Amino acid sequence: MRTFLVGVVLVALAARDARAVVTGAIFGPGSESFPIAVVPPKDLGGDPGGALGARFAKALTRDLDLSGYFRLVDPKTFVESETSGITAGEIDFVGWSAIGAQALVKGGISASGSGIALEVRLFDVPGRRDVPQASKRFSGGRDDVPRMAHRMADAILEFLTSERGPFDSKIAMVSTRSGRLKDVYTWTFDQDDPVRVTDERSLVIAPRWRPDARALVFASYREHFPRLFQVDVGSRQTARLVPGPGVVLDGAWSPDGTRLLVTREEGGNSDIYLLDRSGQVVQRLTDHWAIDVSPAWAPDGRRFAFCSARTGSPQIYVMNVDGSEVVRVSHTGSYNTSPAWSPKGDHIAYTTRGGGGFQVVVTTPDGGNAQTISSAGSNEDPSWAPDGRYLVFSSTRAGGHHLFLADRDGRTQKQLTRGAGDDTSPAWSARLE
Amino acid sequence: MVRGSWTWCLALALLLVVPLGGACKKKGLRPGEGAAGGAGGGIGEEGLGGSSLERAKRGLGPEENGILKDVHFGFDRYDLDSEGRDILGRNVEWLRQNPRAKVELEGHCDSRGTIEYNLALGAKRAKTVKDYLVTQGIAADRVSTISYGKELPLCHDENETCWARNRRVHAVVLGP
Repeated sequence: MRTFLVGVVLVALAARDARAVVTGAIFGPGSESFPIAVVPPKDLGGDPGGALGARFAKALTRDLDLSGYFRLVDPKTFVESETSGITAGEIDFVGWSAIGAQALVKGGISASGSGIALEVRLFDVPGRRDVPQASKRFSGGRDDVPRMAHRMADAILEFLTSERGPFDSKIAMVSTRSGRLKDVYTWTFDQDDPVRVTDERSLVIAPRWRPDARALVFASYREHFPRLFQVDVGSRQTARLVPGPGVVLDGAWSPDGTRLLVTREEGGNSDIYLLDRSGQVVQRLTDHWAIDVSPAWAPDGRRFAFCSARTGSPQIYVMNVDGSEVVRVSHTGSYNTSPAWSPKGDHIAYTTRGGGGFQVVVTTPDGGNAQTISSAGSNEDPSWAPDGRYLVFSSTRAGGHHLFLADRDGRTQKQLTRGAGDDTSPAWSARLE
Repeated sequence: MVRGSWTWCLALALLLVVPLGGACKKKGLRPGEGAAGGAGGGIGEEGLGGSSLERAKRGLGPEENGILKDVHFGFDRYDLDSEGRDILGRNVEWLRQNPRAKVELEGHCDSRGTIEYNLALGAKRAKTVKDYLVTQGIAADRVSTISYGKELPLCHDENETCWARNRRVHAVVLGP
């Protein structure tokens, strides 16, 4: 009840409707404290078996669970069926309140041919009203139902936490799950298994999204030595990205998509280079006998984080894209690698050796406030969600390597991929638009 | 990559220059990996030689040692110890005896640490070995290097014995 009152005050301060009962300021990811009921959208014609509605509800429920904010009310206790009314006047708010639901999602779906129309509403149960800011009308194809669910989840999170959710997006990874060496795969939050997007049957390294989330840059050993390629995720067309015989270990497009940072290895030494769109060298940014690797752009495109062993052990540094102002970010530990810069700009995550394995650390770009957000097993290669609130990384905590999600404070930890094979090197895309 | 493997083993056996130490035996196979017999019958040679990646594509584990012995390294290190220099001394002898042979040095790492850093580290290890061979008079154009980082481990256990075996430079002998 106290939570309820604080929520009212904070929401009022945020100039939202003072009758709303919830806000993210009082319950963080990991609290799993906010009870919400998701009723599959009612059939308004064309979905008589309820398959589309069920698909929507399943995807939305999974997203809300992964966010770590919610407790999903058990459908077995629901006080209304899927065929009940979907306007505030028809809803049994007293009944929903009695089973502990503070928020309720209901809607209606109509399908004709290959198209569907879907209207979904978020209801404030104690307030006995619908929430227009988190109610949506979608139209599209039948296959778009999961994305509609992700957008609804993102909208609910935006209303409750003032930060749009990250679920209408994709996660790329390297996987061995087809039992044929390594390939690049992508996964969306509604899928059971990742989908293969390359046909390398070789070693592939460090997939990274182009900022438009339509293509992935990766290194492949298909021509014996590792070189940089790009695969168009829609067409599956793959092409060399950097010409010439040089060895390239990784690469990433700038946030504006006009330049690349890559790690080139020559004569046994790896250094970071800035390339133009066509793969021609603009500038060599590191020139040191020690290892320099894993460039990660800042969202403003003016700086990048990278890993360097120039002091004798691998540490995280930040540098301007013109090669000036090198600043060390990691200050503890003898092994810190694989930096990732939050799309909000305010945090850098990296991998550190510790706790009997490897763990994910989140810090500020000047190295302040470093906190370790993982503990069980080895946790490597963090990548940020587009909202800068969550990360994905590979972990051995459940056996093998699979992808896990955590919020940036590490309070919520959720397994994303399962099954045979190792899933590593995750890369979270920008929001799909 | 595999061409000449048997030839080199034969040459070795005749010359008796270096203890063979099982270099010509099929090694590292696990049940079901099926190395015996070539596709067209006759003598199979799948179990020997080839780059670690080519072997993996054929469903074979990496080769440990070979005509030239593996050189090992400490965790996150790429400098040679005295044992490594002893092994390289014998490898140099063999390369002098077989002046038409070329080698590709594969840098490998243990499973600890992140993928990209280990790729860079494996490259350093391979370069260390190449530099040593060159200082001993082996022509640089006979020696190429490649890093597989922690991507193609010999063994998969998480203990020091296995990690130590995986931290290595493996020399693949290429035909002349």
